[in-house]
Amino acid sequence: MSGPSPSAGPEPVLTGRGLAKRFGAAVALDGVDLAVGRTETVAIMGPSGSGKSTLLHCLAGIMRPDAGEVHLLGQRIDALGERRRSTLRRTRFGFVFQFGQLLPELPAEENVALPLMLNGTPRRDAVKAARTWFGPLGLGGMERRRPGELSGGQAQRVAIARALAPRPAVVFADEPTGALDQATGHETMRLLTEATRHNDASLVVVTHDPSVARWCDRTVQVRDGRVQQPVPGAA
Amino acid sequence: MGTTLDLTWRLLRGGGRRNLLGAALALAAVAVSTGLLLFAVTANLAFAQRARADAWRHPGKAGADPVMIEALATDHVRGEPITVVDLAALKPGAPAPPGMPRFPNPGETWTSPALARLMKDLPSGQLAARFPARAGTLGRDALIHPDELVAVVGRAPGDPAMTAGRDRLAGVENTAAPTRIARYSTGAAAFAGVYQALVAIASVLMAVPLLVFGGAAARLTVARRDRRLAALRLVGATPGQVVAITTAEAVITAAAGALAGTVLYAAAIPALTRITIAGGGWYASDLWPGLPVVAAVLAAVPVLVGASAVAGLRRVVVGPLGVARRETPPAMRAVRVLLLAAVMAAFAGASGGLTGLGRLGLVIMLVFLMLAFLAINLAGPWVVALIGRITVALARTPARLLAGRRLVDDPRSAWRTVAGVALTGFVAGFLALLGGASSGTKASDRLELSVPPERAAAVAEQVKGRLDGIDAGVAVRPPSTGGPSADAAVVTVTVRGGASAVDRARTALAGTVPGHVATTPADEERGRDQLLADLRTGALTVLVVSFLIAITSAGITGASAVLDRRQAYAMLRLAGTPLRVLDRARRQETLIPLVVMGGGSLATGLFFAAPFAVGFGASGAVTLAAFVAVGFGGIAGASALSRPLLRSVTADPAPTPD
Repeated sequence: MSGPSPSAGPEPVLTGRGLAKRFGAAVALDGVDLAVGRTETVAIMGPSGSGKSTLLHCLAGIMRPDAGEVHLLGQRIDALGERRRSTLRRTRFGFVFQFGQLLPELPAEENVALPLMLNGTPRRDAVKAARTWFGPLGLGGMERRRPGELSGGQAQRVAIARALAPRPAVVFADEPTGALDQATGHETMRLLTEATRHNDASLVVVTHDPSVARWCDRTVQVRDGRVQQPVPGAA
Repeated sequence: MGTTLDLTWRLLRGGGRRNLLGAALALAAVAVSTGLLLFAVTANLAFAQRARADAWRHPGKAGADPVMIEALATDHVRGEPITVVDLAALKPGAPAPPGMPRFPNPGETWTSPALARLMKDLPSGQLAARFPARAGTLGRDALIHPDELVAVVGRAPGDPAMTAGRDRLAGVENTAAPTRIARYSTGAAAFAGVYQALVAIASVLMAVPLLVFGGAAARLTVARRDRRLAALRLVGATPGQVVAITTAEAVITAAAGALAGTVLYAAAIPALTRITIAGGGWYASDLWPGLPVVAAVLAAVPVLVGASAVAGLRRVVVGPLGVARRETPPAMRAVRVLLLAAVMAAFAGASGGLTGLGRLGLVIMLVFLMLAFLAINLAGPWVVALIGRITVALARTPARLLAGRRLVDDPRSAWRTVAGVALTGFVAGFLALLGGASSGTKASDRLELSVPPERAAAVAEQVKGRLDGIDAGVAVRPPSTGGPSADAAVVTVTVRGGASAVDRARTALAGTVPGHVATTPADEERGRDQLLADLRTGALTVLVVSFLIAITSAGITGASAVLDRRQAYAMLRLAGTPLRVLDRARRQETLIPLVVMGGGSLATGLFFAAPFAVGFGASGAVTLAAFVAVGFGGIAGASALSRPLLRSVTADPAPTPD
């Protein structure tokens, strides 16, 4: 384990050590170390095929690395079974993707309430809690709209609310502005970083767009499955 | 054009396993639709062929320049009817009847193969002795079905059988008095016409859901490709090229499906020939629609699917970004249900008088049946949406909520899945009560021969003489008012010793009163029972077809729903949603409306059949139980097919826009 030490804020929430993953002959991750501090926002950048998405999947417990360990608040999570990791993702992590993550037949508020219901919150309470997210995210009055009736930026804000509603420790975002124009993308990143911080959660954003990475505290460059020399964020 | 085809083929082959699975599903749907469409079309042709084979036996109206005399009678052997056509030439050169090489000479009998076999197998005193010597076998043009018992008897014009009148059995056209005609009838007799009308109704009932379902399948295959096509637009394909590629893709799939469906249908013909209608199965050649029809179906199905695909594509072509906007569907109006209520109320009001109206009553009943079918189909989506709203309102679990929202979102699609079973439930409920009317209650050992009252005593004596050696009691019943032979006396012969003794008595009595055949009350009841049995067989056939449609539709709809939402499902799965929640939602969105609608239509069917119910027979209960078991089992099974699909689309750890 060489390379820069996985340093971050005073108390790392999420750490990955020596993460390696290969798909057949292709090496996606080749010994990556990364630590994310409390309320820290980290951008993972790199060209296509650099392994940045695989890194996110390993950190988020979606995928099990071939080697290395992932710890969340001191607990090792990569060795857990699929069921436990699934529960973990549902309760401790939040996700924002490029698009297609909202169920089209559910009104916005129920899309936000769904993860809470999955975690056992009664429906009435879940919807009530979901509604509290709409005002702060500039979605007032959109509660009953369905995803098809929302603009791309509005839909992403609903997705942010959904990711944050279960009060996760870490929010993972994979190209969250990929389907948006630049102005809307900036607004979305502003809300995403602010809301995450405000809710005491950390944020890991995978992107190839430097203007997205600028919103984060720190940027990690991934190339050929390895972390390059870290550079300070420009925000 | 060459490039388009090449590109289409590459897209089709290179689409990956999931898209290939989608194409295979669409192909299966088109194959089932085509096979059933061929069945619906051919059923009409087959009945038309039967009507043609039947037409010549009915003499029709007397001709102006007659060349022959034709009469029709119905005899019975072992309880089976024998159609007896008597022919006498008035001039040389009278035309040969269908299925015969020449006009029969006086004193010879031509029989169908089945009757010939029976004449050989049974002692002559039970059957063969009733007719003049056998001279030949009737060809199939003369026969309605392969097992039909038909005799064509040649006679001299002066033969008493060609001059005496006939008494006719009530309502059934199986007897006709000697008539001087110039040519054989070709138009369908009224009774055959009723069958043709019924099969036409059945075809509509089968074909309409088929077309709706086929169109939906076509559009769904396109929806699957929305994003990729939008990408094609982005890289600069013209709208024309996009349309051409997609249409070509849909048409290729549909053509393969149509071909597979035709093969499927051809393979099913041997089984289909065993469907017994009007006392017999079918000639395989009657059930083969012929090359022109097959060619037309093979051409029309891909064109229809292609047109449907183009309609589904408009959205993608308009916007290169392919933003599929989904809005809250406009609420359907309750008028749909009021219509159903109105039809039911009208039926309830009219039903009391229907049974007394005879044939008119039957027609009115059929009209009400049609209206009820249409009304159920209109009310269906509305009710599904209502069920969805209730499900949403009551939902406590995420799975129930998802299922309910799906129903509210697209009630028509959910209705398509359950419609077949719901409509079938109506038929099954109807049959359950009609099934109680059991047949075979009337005497089959008492032969009756109607005679003019003044000759009754003499005929009775003559009969006694003929029945030498048969244990039988002869009596005379004076003319009664009402009934088909109101002014005739009846000589009754009560035969002891079972069916073969009855057949010997029939044979002994043949020709006692020229043109009159001795029949038992059971024989006379047979015609009506036959119609009822045929209605039941026909309804059962439609039932099976609806099940096939419903089950295929459940499979397709389930799979398409998964494919359409695969991104959302994959994301949900990534975000930690357990697969079993998604799976339970998928199952409930089919089973909830199925239980409500299937049960509801069953009740509606029972309601409509109630005025005709003789009793809730055991066969009715069995039909109902079978309906519930097969319907729910089949649909649950078909919808479970999308479970592995759900697993595979959500197992992908890196969801991409495809």
